[in-house]
Amino acid sequence: MRQGFYSGGWTYTLLVAPILILIVIFFYIPVGLAFFWSFFLERPFGGGSDFVGFQNYARVLSDPEFWSAMRRTLVFMVLAPGLAIGISLILALAADRGLRLSSAARNIIIWPKAVAGASIGVVFVFIFDPFLGVFAPLNEAFPGVWNPRTDGNDAFATILVAQIWNGIPFNFIILLSGLQAIPDTLTKAAAMDGAGPWRRIRDIQLPLLTPQLFLTFVLEFVGTIVEAFGLIDTMTQGGPGGATTLLIYKIYVDGFKAYDLSGAATQTALLILFVGIMVLLQFRLEKHVKYER
Amino acid sequence: MTGTRITIDNVTKRYDRVEVIPGLSAQFEAGEFTVILGPSGCGKSTLLNMLAGLEEVTSGRLLFGAREVQNVPAKDRGCAMVFQNYALYPHMSVADNIGYSLKLAKVRKAERVERIAAVARIAGLEGYLDRRPSQLSGGQRQRVAIARAIVREPGVLLFDEPLSNLDAKLRNDMRIELSNLHKRIGATSVFVTHDQVEAMTLADRILILNEGQIEQFATPGEIYHRPRTTFVAEFIGAPAMNLLKARGEGGNLCLASGTPMTTVAHEGEVLAGVRPERIELSDAGLKAQVLYREDLGSHHILLVQLDSGEQMRLSTSQGGANADSSEVFLHIPPDAVHLFDPETQQRIN
Ligand SMILES: Nc1ncnc2c1ncn2[C@@H]1O[C@H](COP(=O)(O)OP(=O)(O)OP(=O)(O)O)[C@@H](O)[C@H]1O
Ligand SMILES: [Mg+2]
Repeated sequence: MRQGFYSGGWTYTLLVAPILILIVIFFYIPVGLAFFWSFFLERPFGGGSDFVGFQNYARVLSDPEFWSAMRRTLVFMVLAPGLAIGISLILALAADRGLRLSSAARNIIIWPKAVAGASIGVVFVFIFDPFLGVFAPLNEAFPGVWNPRTDGNDAFATILVAQIWNGIPFNFIILLSGLQAIPDTLTKAAAMDGAGPWRRIRDIQLPLLTPQLFLTFVLEFVGTIVEAFGLIDTMTQGGPGGATTLLIYKIYVDGFKAYDLSGAATQTALLILFVGIMVLLQFRLEKHVKYER
Repeated sequence: MTGTRITIDNVTKRYDRVEVIPGLSAQFEAGEFTVILGPSGCGKSTLLNMLAGLEEVTSGRLLFGAREVQNVPAKDRGCAMVFQNYALYPHMSVADNIGYSLKLAKVRKAERVERIAAVARIAGLEGYLDRRPSQLSGGQRQRVAIARAIVREPGVLLFDEPLSNLDAKLRNDMRIELSNLHKRIGATSVFVTHDQVEAMTLADRILILNEGQIEQFATPGEIYHRPRTTFVAEFIGAPAMNLLKARGEGGNLCLASGTPMTTVAHEGEVLAGVRPERIELSDAGLKAQVLYREDLGSHHILLVQLDSGEQMRLSTSQGGANADSSEVFLHIPPDAVHLFDPETQQRIN
């Protein structure tokens, strides 16, 4: 589609150039290098590398720690977006139904989004502290019930809650604005047709909210890889006993702590493949998104 | 299908502090087509929404037949509504839009398909049942909205300015279709509009609303020929009725300046109303200057000024006599004059 007001082809090129350069430098080149390195065995203290074919892949894929990190990543990818969107949706439906939020309230609810994952992690370390945090009274009644420092499940739950907490404000705003954009008369028409509030949510509001739900789903999905890293690094460093080592964190540890650069590159390549498959699935899903209003 | 009689018993509506409807009583007979007409913001939609159950009644009673419904939720009142902006479900096909209420009422699939096809035939929507609303024209969308409203065979049909989004020609066609449809299905219909042509042509009776109160509730003929108040007199008819300060003296109706206008049996101060289409042009009578002339093709509308200063509008008969003259003589037939009390604004003759 060519529009009248930007006629020269150079204008387009110049306008997109800065972002293109950034994307190439910080995304395509590293991804390309990761795939490239995954076929070489890098010497840990420098001094060249040797082509080894698929040996790195064989090594990584036969490592049980890779598979448990993968499993944790999958669980996290299902639970965190699911809960973050589910809770936001309930809040947005409630807010849309009655209580008209004041603009002050809307501001306050979006603030957590302005805080980086790492900072949220630091705060949550205090909130979930077994002796000082919100569950401290529980520990007094039943000693040892809650301790994310020693119990893997508790630690995983802590990361999960922090991730969900981080996601709710943005999802809430997106979903609420989507709900408010549904014309009032549609709800009225459905009420006249005999639909109660639950039926209206199911038959009218949710179908018309699919563009917003899809957007939040895609962003949440990306967040489980990108933002989760900051949370794990500040809260648990992958522990205890690897219980919170998602694949993204394992790559970091292998590459920068254990100096297994080839292993890290191979796992990066695998993670990118995995994410690529998920993105393809999401595009198939998008066919069912209803943009008509 | 039979209509339901609607009784509105001393209903009031208040939003916070603002009283929109200060106490209104009326009865719409079973199967009657009532048009609610009034200026913007007078409370027409509010009244309709209260009938529908979309808006709560502050006080008073609403009866459908003998059943009190003011506390019954919208979905259980057995009425259907057509909205100004159609309000079709954009993600459903035409057939699903029409059949949604049947589905909610747990009507069997086979019967549903049959009834959807039947109303689609009535509404002229055969062949469109698989389309999405976004693939239809404005007129077709409004037909879907009407089909959706009548498929459940409701006792009460409510319309909130359903034709105002359509262009003039389509509006005329739809008006005739709606009128035929009403005769066919016999539901009690309440139709809100601020278009007086719609009101005059569709209504069995017109309810004229002003600031939440009934100015007049009567047949279109009665409203046109015997407006009860100056508000109704000026609101109905285009161009609006001329209203002049006058005085009855010894059988003559004289203007404020003393010039006799026509004969009348009334004595004392009055507001005299004359419809522009009842003023005749003649060779002698009230002399007036033509200030402005609008040529509508079939006839002219003249804005004239009497020697005594009053301005009036008149519409000429077909062809427009004295088409070019700047000075005309007016004849006002005595039976064309409506008299109103200057204090109460109520009709007195
Ligand atoms: N939710 C509300 N809160 C407060 N005031 C309201 C509300 N809805 C309507 N009103 C007021 O009630 C009055 C009547 O409104 P209503 O919508 O019934 O007018 P209407 O006759 O349908 O006008 P129109 O021809 O413009 O549609 C208006 O003065 C409006 O400002
Ligand atoms: Mg209205």
